[in-house]
Amino acid sequence: MNTPTPGASSAHSAALTAEYAAIWAYGPIGVRLTGPAQEAARDAEATHRRRRDDLVLQLTEAGDSLPADQAGYTLPFPVTDEPSALRLAVEVEERTAGFWQAAVAATSGAERERALAALVDCAVRATQWRRTAGITPLTTPFPGRTA
Amino acid sequence: MVLTWTVMGRMTQRDTLPDRTMRHSRRNMLRVGALLTLGGAVPSLTGCDPFNQEPPPPDPLAPMVDEALALAAAYRDAATTHPTLAGRLAPIIEAHSAHAAELARITKAAPPSATPTASTPADPDATLTGLREREQAASESATRACLAAPAGRAALLASIAAARASHLEALQ
Repeated sequence: MNTPTPGASSAHSAALTAEYAAIWAYGPIGVRLTGPAQEAARDAEATHRRRRDDLVLQLTEAGDSLPADQAGYTLPFPVTDEPSALRLAVEVEERTAGFWQAAVAATSGAERERALAALVDCAVRATQWRRTAGITPLTTPFPGRTA
Repeated sequence: MVLTWTVMGRMTQRDTLPDRTMRHSRRNMLRVGALLTLGGAVPSLTGCDPFNQEPPPPDPLAPMVDEALALAAAYRDAATTHPTLAGRLAPIIEAHSAHAAELARITKAAPPSATPTASTPADPDATLTGLREREQAASESATRACLAAPAGRAALLASIAAARASHLEALQ
């Protein structure tokens, strides 16, 4: 076990709220997609659920309080068709990446490794969604960096 | 710029004054300045043994500046050799250059004296395979650097590792 870094629990707590929102967002995303894109959305949602479960376990074991999941989240724009669903999928991965990047700086050892893996996964998925959506460029220079 | 001009203007004005004392005192001031400089240097020479002085340890991220510049150069060369790939490679070139700039900023590394050279295969597929291999290795090196870095540097290195992984995806 690693010694918990100060700030790790608040970074994990924030990452958990991001994962809650991501899981929720993949609901409206998934229903607007078909075929391989829908399959990719299911796979992404499952990944976010797995990370949520890991975070819940980790925060509980550390004796930290869990942030509450909400019944619904405000979408940044209406999701009415496939293009808007794909745009939202890109945005969900980009936003979640930001929380994991913050968790990287707040952790060390195995916890940092896990935060980094999550950031990398979000960045790669964002690239895959951009490709599916026909959005270019496919990549951003600093995934996770906001502004 | 403004400051430089003001100082020069003052000096010119002083030099044109016919007052000898003023000129003399200025010369003296220059001498005093020279002595102060010498005097300041003496303790540092006698205070420690120059043969026993440990050089400051190199910044562990310094090689990453070169790595990012070499990657940018490899992609640039590939884009020039294969114009059909240029559009796809342009954002990746931009990213590697931006990484090099950020890494140089935090390591305070001196700009490289020479631009790294690259050689691109004549076959576009072989070119992409080569770039993917380099990107994979670079992603792993950024991951290692991130895991070993102090908190203040970890976020940037994590972002660079993620960018490189996404480049790999973009090259599929």
